Amino acid sequence: MTRGVLIFAHNSPDVDYGLMATIAGGLAKKNLGVPVSLVTDLGTLAWLEESGTLIKAREVFDQIIEVDRPYTKNVRNLHDGFESKIIPFVNSNRYSVWELSPYDQTLLIDSDYLIFSNKLNEYWSVDAPVMMGHSMTDLTGERGGILDGRVSETGVHMFWATTVMFDKSAESEFFFKLVDFVKDNYVYYADLFRFNPKQFRNDIAFSVAKHIMNGFETEFAYTLPPILTVFDKDILHTVDNDRLTFLVSQLHDVASFWAATTQGTDVHIMNKQSIIRNANRLLELI
Amino acid sequence: MNFGYLIFVAAHPDIDYLKLAYAAALSIKNTQREGYDKVALIINDKSLVDELKSPWVFDKVIEWPEQKFWDGRSWMDKVTPWEHTVCIDADMLFIRDYSHWIDYFIENTELYVANRAYTFRGEVVTSDAYRKAFTKNDLPNLYSMWTFFKKGSGEEFFELARQIFINPHEFKNLYLSNHTPKVIGTDEAFALSAKLLDIDSEIAYSLDFPKVVHLKPRIQNWPWDADCVTDQAGFYLKNDGSLKIGNYQQTDIVHYVEKDIITDELISMLEEIVWKKN
Repeated sequence: MTRGVLIFAHNSPDVDYGLMATIAGGLAKKNLGVPVSLVTDLGTLAWLEESGTLIKAREVFDQIIEVDRPYTKNVRNLHDGFESKIIPFVNSNRYSVWELSPYDQTLLIDSDYLIFSNKLNEYWSVDAPVMMGHSMTDLTGERGGILDGRVSETGVHMFWATTVMFDKSAESEFFFKLVDFVKDNYVYYADLFRFNPKQFRNDIAFSVAKHIMNGFETEFAYTLPPILTVFDKDILHTVDNDRLTFLVSQLHDVASFWAATTQGTDVHIMNKQSIIRNANRLLELI
Repeated sequence: MNFGYLIFVAAHPDIDYLKLAYAAALSIKNTQREGYDKVALIINDKSLVDELKSPWVFDKVIEWPEQKFWDGRSWMDKVTPWEHTVCIDADMLFIRDYSHWIDYFIENTELYVANRAYTFRGEVVTSDAYRKAFTKNDLPNLYSMWTFFKKGSGEEFFELARQIFINPHEFKNLYLSNHTPKVIGTDEAFALSAKLLDIDSEIAYSLDFPKVVHLKPRIQNWPWDADCVTDQAGFYLKNDGSLKIGNYQQTDIVHYVEKDIITDELISMLEEIVWKKN
């Protein structure tokens, strides 16, 4: 049985997702000891080559799977500390991972999820067709809001699609088809599950599909661990081997920071630009 | 085995409690195994039952005009016709078969009072939004909406609860001074009785049943103080008797609060299921 990690990367004019995927893939390969593949598009590949990252990417990735770049009208407000910008967000083809993955068992991770431990290796042997991150844990433990835990105030539990482990069973295939169906009918499901349809979010589509697949009940028996998350208003300051130091904004919109460190811990860094700024140090770790 | 459910109703100017009890009895008949599906109704005017389409869902109808509305529940041990009884509120719906738990209670207990409630999402209710008198006065968290007892058991407990119920001011002044409830209902009377007799750990220990979804709006873990549950989450009963609230399939006993949930249409759906079953 083959096992591997898969990462999607589609560059936007502002964010070099290809570089981030190379970093995340390299760290996953090093710390989980399994092959890693990349799903990307021609434009992102061209930029990887032009920016000089492609050589490293070819070292890191077992396979580079080229797909058509999905058309997007999706945008997001991406912070970099206290600066922010509205940027396009290409994330609508994640459902296709079941067909694209070359592995019997796949760990799908976001390109901003940096793996510094082998903790996720414990989950390969779990007999479950699809497992997702149980929830999000803010680095400080204090700043998560209700919409980080549920798809809406009155809605269902939100699992985090930052990490998704799945097999190639009929059940998992159905799950991803259902994710695609939810995506295609996002406004309808937004009405039904009372979430804001303004921006398509995989976390929401995956959570809704999981809820439906589970007979409209929340099931916590088979999940991946909560996602330790550093918000995009926080800044990755230094990288010292597996020790990352962040400047953490104390509360939303308060212009003061404190320092916090993670060591040997898998971490979801939502401030993409601060990963890019530390790319050289991170690439040295691979 | 002589087991049955017990429901109290009495005339009310605004709420048709008999209709609610009828819905509860229909849902019991629709979901519980034979022998575990008997329902006794305690009502102030027996003749009202004859107006129902299927009055037979009440296996016993007992006229008992001594207390109004549901206040008579403190007398449940006196009026029950069953050897083993579960007294429930009228505004409850049974969604699936729970009869295996009845076997457990008959075998292992003589008196048990529900001590947890759940949100429509299946989370244990931790908010004391409606239970300040309990938390401030350190009362055991009892819910009389599901009370199991064996005939002749818990005499002291029920008698003291009745005394509390009959003499609320005396007991309020003595034992509920940290936060005085406006009204001493059956929940408060049961909780105080259990506390004074020091039997709460014997009659309300932790179990996975009964799981009762308590549809009071301010305890549903919403970030706002809702006035009514159905403004926030729909109530969808299907004609196979399954129930969804919001996006959550319900599998536990549902204790609704908004009485107008029980429409004539909903009654018709429950009746059709019971007619097909019998």
